[in-house]
Amino acid sequence: MRNERICISKLAAGLIFLTASALALPGSGQAQATSYLDFDQLTRQLRSLVNSSDMARMNSVGTSIEGREIWVVEIGNPSGKPLEERPAVLVIGNLEGDHVVGSALALETIRYLLDGAEDNAEIQTILEEQTVYVFPRVNPDGAEAMFASVKWERSRNARPYDDDNDGRIDEDGPEDLNGDGLITVMRVPNPSGDYMIDTVDARLMKKADPTKGEQGEYTLYWEGTDSDGDGFLNEDGPGGVDLNRNFQHAYPYWQRDAGPHMVSEPESRALMDFVIAHRNIGAILAFGRTDNLVTPPDSRGNVADASILDLPSFADASNAEISEVGVFGAQQPSGFGFFFFRGGRGSGFRGAQPGRDNDPNAGRRPATTFNQADLEYFNAASEAYKSITGIESVGIHRTPEGAFFQYGYFQFGVPSFSTPGWGLPSAEPEEPGEETPGAAEERPEGAARERPPGGARPAGAGARAGGGRAMPQGGRPGGGGVAAGADARVLSALDAAGIDAFVDWTAYTHPTLGEVEIGGFRPYAATNPPAEDLAGLGRDHGEFVARLARMLPRVTIVETEVTAHGGGIYTVAVEIENSGYFPTSLQHGVVSRSVGPTTVQIHVPPEDVITGDAKTSSIRQLNGSHNRERFEWVIRGRDGARVEITALAQKGGTDSATVTLR
Amino acid sequence: MNYVKENRMVTRLGAAFLAIAIILAGAPDLSAQQRGGSDPEHRLPLTWDRWLDHAGMAERMRQMADTWPEFLTLTSLGKSYGGRDLWMMTINNPSTGPEMNKAAMYIEANVHGNEIQGGEICLYTIWYLMENYGRIEEITRLVDERVFYIVPTVNPDGRDYFMHGTGSGSRTGHVPVDSDGDGLFDEDGPDDLNGSGMIEQIRKYVPGEGTHRISHDDPRIMETVPSGETGDWILLGSEGIDNDGDGRVNEDPVGGYDPNRNYGAGWQPNYIQGGSMNYPFELPESRATNDFWMTHPNIAGAQSYHNSGGMILRGPGTAWHGTYPREDIRVYDELGENGERILPYYNYLIIWQGLYTVHGGSIDWTNDGLGAVSFSNELWSGSLYFGSDLLREQQEDPDSPISGQKSRFFFDDFVEFGDNYVEWTPFDHPQFGAVELGGWKKYFGRINPRFTSMEQFHRNMAFTLYHADQMPLMSIGETTVENVGGNVYRVRVDIRNERLIPTITVRARQNNVVRPDLLTVDGNVEVIAAGWVPNKHRPGPTDRIDQDELDRIIIRSGHPGRTTRTIEYLVRGSGSMTVTYSAVKGGTASTTVRLR
Repeated sequence: MRNERICISKLAAGLIFLTASALALPGSGQAQATSYLDFDQLTRQLRSLVNSSDMARMNSVGTSIEGREIWVVEIGNPSGKPLEERPAVLVIGNLEGDHVVGSALALETIRYLLDGAEDNAEIQTILEEQTVYVFPRVNPDGAEAMFASVKWERSRNARPYDDDNDGRIDEDGPEDLNGDGLITVMRVPNPSGDYMIDTVDARLMKKADPTKGEQGEYTLYWEGTDSDGDGFLNEDGPGGVDLNRNFQHAYPYWQRDAGPHMVSEPESRALMDFVIAHRNIGAILAFGRTDNLVTPPDSRGNVADASILDLPSFADASNAEISEVGVFGAQQPSGFGFFFFRGGRGSGFRGAQPGRDNDPNAGRRPATTFNQADLEYFNAASEAYKSITGIESVGIHRTPEGAFFQYGYFQFGVPSFSTPGWGLPSAEPEEPGEETPGAAEERPEGAARERPPGGARPAGAGARAGGGRAMPQGGRPGGGGVAAGADARVLSALDAAGIDAFVDWTAYTHPTLGEVEIGGFRPYAATNPPAEDLAGLGRDHGEFVARLARMLPRVTIVETEVTAHGGGIYTVAVEIENSGYFPTSLQHGVVSRSVGPTTVQIHVPPEDVITGDAKTSSIRQLNGSHNRERFEWVIRGRDGARVEITALAQKGGTDSATVTLR
Repeated sequence: MNYVKENRMVTRLGAAFLAIAIILAGAPDLSAQQRGGSDPEHRLPLTWDRWLDHAGMAERMRQMADTWPEFLTLTSLGKSYGGRDLWMMTINNPSTGPEMNKAAMYIEANVHGNEIQGGEICLYTIWYLMENYGRIEEITRLVDERVFYIVPTVNPDGRDYFMHGTGSGSRTGHVPVDSDGDGLFDEDGPDDLNGSGMIEQIRKYVPGEGTHRISHDDPRIMETVPSGETGDWILLGSEGIDNDGDGRVNEDPVGGYDPNRNYGAGWQPNYIQGGSMNYPFELPESRATNDFWMTHPNIAGAQSYHNSGGMILRGPGTAWHGTYPREDIRVYDELGENGERILPYYNYLIIWQGLYTVHGGSIDWTNDGLGAVSFSNELWSGSLYFGSDLLREQQEDPDSPISGQKSRFFFDDFVEFGDNYVEWTPFDHPQFGAVELGGWKKYFGRINPRFTSMEQFHRNMAFTLYHADQMPLMSIGETTVENVGGNVYRVRVDIRNERLIPTITVRARQNNVVRPDLLTVDGNVEVIAAGWVPNKHRPGPTDRIDQDELDRIIIRSGHPGRTTRTIEYLVRGSGSMTVTYSAVKGGTASTTVRLR
C-alpha cells in the first residue's frame, strides 16, 4: 500500500517536474507552483530554481530527525560586498508541519526574486545591496504527513515523544476507521457528554451550557481506537515537538508539544544557529499559524487574540484527564525510625535565611509587549502587506508562545512578522463585541470563550499545565487570549469560497464504542488555501518581501569635510545617513541590547586623536528616511596623508570613505 | 614530604605502632589493620596538595580507572570549544545490577573556569569511595546500591586558562563573543605587561585629584575616600593596553559569558540575564552535559561545586518561579540542615534569596527539567580564615588587626608568609603613563589555601555522599497470600522507599518530566481488582485503583520518602505471581509469591 502510494506520488512529481521544465524558458524564470510539494519535489524545484540563476545558492544547515535536509537559499548578487555584510531579510516557511502553504510562499518568493533579477530594476538593486535568506521548510518531517495516504493534520516534528508520559512512546495514535483516507473526529452519543450539536450549523459541535438549560449529548474523540488499552483513545500518536512553540520568547514550559526545553530539536537548533551567525538579518518574515502582520500589535503592543477551531480542541480534550491517572494521595508514613540528627530549626520550613535576604521583586523582567516606539514600523509593514496581498483577515491563527517570529523581535531585536499567508475569501474582520452577521448572532456564549489560552491544546490539559507551570515569563505573554471558536466563521467563509472543508458526519460501528458518527474539518483545509491560489499568493508575497528589503536600514557616509588648522592639526568630519525606512535599531533592539550600535571609526593611531569624538564612536539608533548623524575628530596628521573612515551598522551595512589631509 | 603520611605519623601513633608490627610480620595484613584503626594503606597512594590542570586530572582519572577497572569507567561526554574532553567517571558495581536500574548521583564541578577546587573534590570522591570499598561498611553499601557519574570539570578550557594563564577573565568559557559589538571577537583582553605571570591592578598617582587613598592601617590597602574629600590615587582597572587600536582598553576579553546561565529552566536573554548566550544549551559543554542527562533518567541527585562563600545552595534561582512545593521543600530542608552540620561555616540557602538571582543555572534545570534533587556548594568561605567564634568576634572590632581588608593581609602575612600578595611597583604604561601595578595572586581568595584542602574536600564529599544515600531506594517488605475462594486470591505486598527522597518529586510530577513509577504483575494470573491498603493493621476497604490495565499500574505521584505502602491485588490464577515496582530514580524491586 505504502509503496504504491510512493510510486504514484513519484510519478506525479515527475510529471510536475516535466511540466515545469517544459515551461521554463531560458532567462525568463520558471513555472509557478500549482500544487503542494512533498520534500523530494520541493528539493527538486529549489535546486532547479537555484541552478537557473547566478543570484542564488542553496545549502543545507542540518537535517531533520528523519534525516531530511533543512535547506536555506541565499539570494544576492555575488559580485560586490560579501552577502553577510549586507542588510538581510530572513524568510521562514513551514515551521509547523501542517502549514505547508508557508513552503509554497517561500518557494514562490525565491522565484519572484530570481525572475525579477532579469528585468526588474528594483529587484536588481535589492540583489546588489542586500541579501535575502529563505528557509522554505524547517519542518520537513512534519510536512510529509500532508502527502501520506491517510491525512492527519498536525504541526509537530518526528521526535518520538511520550505524550501521555506512561512509559510507552507513540503507542496510541489515531486510525482511519472508515477508510476515507482522513483522520477526523468521532462523536459518540452519551447522555452525560459535554457536547451538543450546534444550534446554528448542524455540522458543528458546541459545549453545552447547563446554566442556559442546555444538555450535552455527545462525547468527542479523534478517529481511532484505544490501541494500548489504557482507557484513552489516541492520546499518544507519532511525533513530538511543535517547532513553532520551541523558541525562547514566552516559551510554554513543560507543555507536551513544546519540547523538553527551548530549541531542543535539530530543526529549531539549525535555524537558530544560522540566525545568530547572521547578525546582518534586519527583518524576519515567518509564514505560520500566527499573525502580527494582517493585524499589527495594538496600541498597547499586544498581538491580536487567537482564533482557533473548537472541534479539534474538543477532541483533544477527551484525553485531558490522563495526567490525573495514577496520582495518589499521600500515604501514612509507616515507620522508618532513622530520622537521624533531624530537627533543630522547628518547623522544618525555611522562611528568612541567614545571610542576605534579597527582595523577591528585584530584577528586571523581559518585555512581553511590542515597544510603543516600534509600533509605527509594524503598522507600516502591515499596511504594505495588506495593500500588496489584499489580505484583510485571516482564518485561524493561534497564540504565539514560543513562536519563532516572537524570538525575532523580543530577543533578536528586529522587525519580525508572522502571517498565515492567506485570507478567508469572504470573512468579515471581527470587531470586539461584534459577531459575524447572520448565524453567529444567535450563537450563545460558547465553551470556547471560557477556554484558557493555549492554542490547540486540550482544555483540560491547559488547566493542568497552568497549575503545574513553574516558569512563567512574567506578565501576559505577548497577548493572545482565545476569542470565540472560529468554527462557524471559518466554515461559512470556506463554504462561500467553494472550498470543501468539512467531512459530513457518517455512521460507523466502532469496535468498543458502538454506534458513532465520524466527520469534521477536512485535514489541512482550514490551514492551507487551495493549490490553485498558490501562484498568485506567492507572487504577492515575493513582492512584499522585496518591499520589506527596501525598508531595511541602509547606512552610508554621505558627507566628508577636512579643515586644516596649521601645525599638522586637522578637523575631519563625516555625516552618515540611514536611507532605509527602519531605524538602524528598533527601540527594543536597544532595550534588549541585541542590536549592535552603529559604529564610526577614524583609522589613525589612537594617540593622534586630540579631541572631538572618540576614535571609535557609535550611535545606538539612527532613524531611517534619510536621517543623518555627524562625527568630528580633531587629529594630528601629515599634509597629504589619506585617512580612512568606516561606518558599520549591524543591520544597515558597511561603508567607508577616504579623505586627504590638506 | 607526603602530607597524608606526615599527618599520620604525628597524630596516629597507635596506627604507626601497628604498621611497624605489620612490617615486622612481613606482608601487610589488612584485616589486622582494619581492626586496629581507620588508617589503611592505600592501594593507589595519591596526594591532594596540588591543583591539577585538565591533563593532570585526566591522568589521575586514568590511574584510578586502571586501578579499579571492575567499578570505574572513564568516558568523555564530548569536547569543549577548545577541543578538551569532558571526562566523566562512572562508578558502578556491575555485580549488583546495571547502571540504569539504580539511582544515580551526578557530581560536577568547575563550570566557572576559575572555581577549580571542586574538580579535586570530584577526584577525591572517586578515590575515597574506591579505597574504602570493602573496608567501611557504609561506603561499601553506598557503592553497591548506587551509581555515581562524576565530571571533575565541565569547563576545561576555563580551568586551563586560569591555571596556565594570568588568572584573569577565567570565569567564562571560551566560545568567542564579540563583547564590544565591533564585529571582532575577543580582540582586546588584559595583558601581562610587566611579565609577572599575573594580571595586576593599575593605580596612578594623581595628587589631590583621585578617588582613593592609602590606608593608615596598612600601606598596601587602598581605600575609597569619603564623599566631599579627594584622594591622591585613581584605580585604572586591570593590567592591559588597547590591543586593537580602537582607543579602548580591555573592552573585549576572551569569552565573556557565564556558562552557568546557559541551562534550560528559567533561561532569559542577555538583557535580563547577562552572559546567558543566545539559547539554552548553545555552548558545547552545557549541551554535551545535557545530552548525557537526557539519556540518563536514573539520575536522582545532582551536585555542582562552585566557589566561594561557604554555601549549600538550592533552587529556585529566581523568586519569579515561586517556591518549591511544600513536600519538596521538606526534603531539601532536611538535607540542607544536615549539610550545615557536616560543613562548619557553610549556610544552607536558596539561590535567589541568599545569594543573588540566577536565570538558567544548572541546578534549576536538574531540579525542574530532570526531577533530580540538586544542590550547588559554594566552596570555601572567608569565615574559615579565622574559624572560631572568638576570632570572628574580634573581626567585628574595627581596631582589630583582623577586621575588614586587614584580615586578608594578616592571614597572608602570618599564615602563608606573604605568598599571595604582589607589592605595587612602578610601570610606564603606553596609554596611562606612569602607573603602579600590584595586587593579589590568582589563587588567593576564592580558592581555599592549599593546606586546608583535605578537610574541605572530605567534608564536601561527605555532604554529597549523604545526599546520595538519601536518594530513593525501592524494596519489598512483607507479603501475604490468602485464598478467598476457588482460584481467587488476595495478595498483599509491602512496597518501601527507605530513604528521604521520593521517587518522583512534586515538581517533577507537575512538569511531567519523570516517567511514572510502574507496578506490574507477571505470571499465570488475571488481576480482578487492585487497591492501596490504607492501614493493614486496621481492617477496612482499600483505596481502589481505577485504571484499565491493573497488571501495569501507573503511579504518577511516585513513592514518598521513608514510606511503606501496601498494595492489595485480587487475582484469579495459579502457580506463582511476580510483583515488580519500577521507579526510574529509585531502582526496581520485585517479589514472587506462590498462590496457594
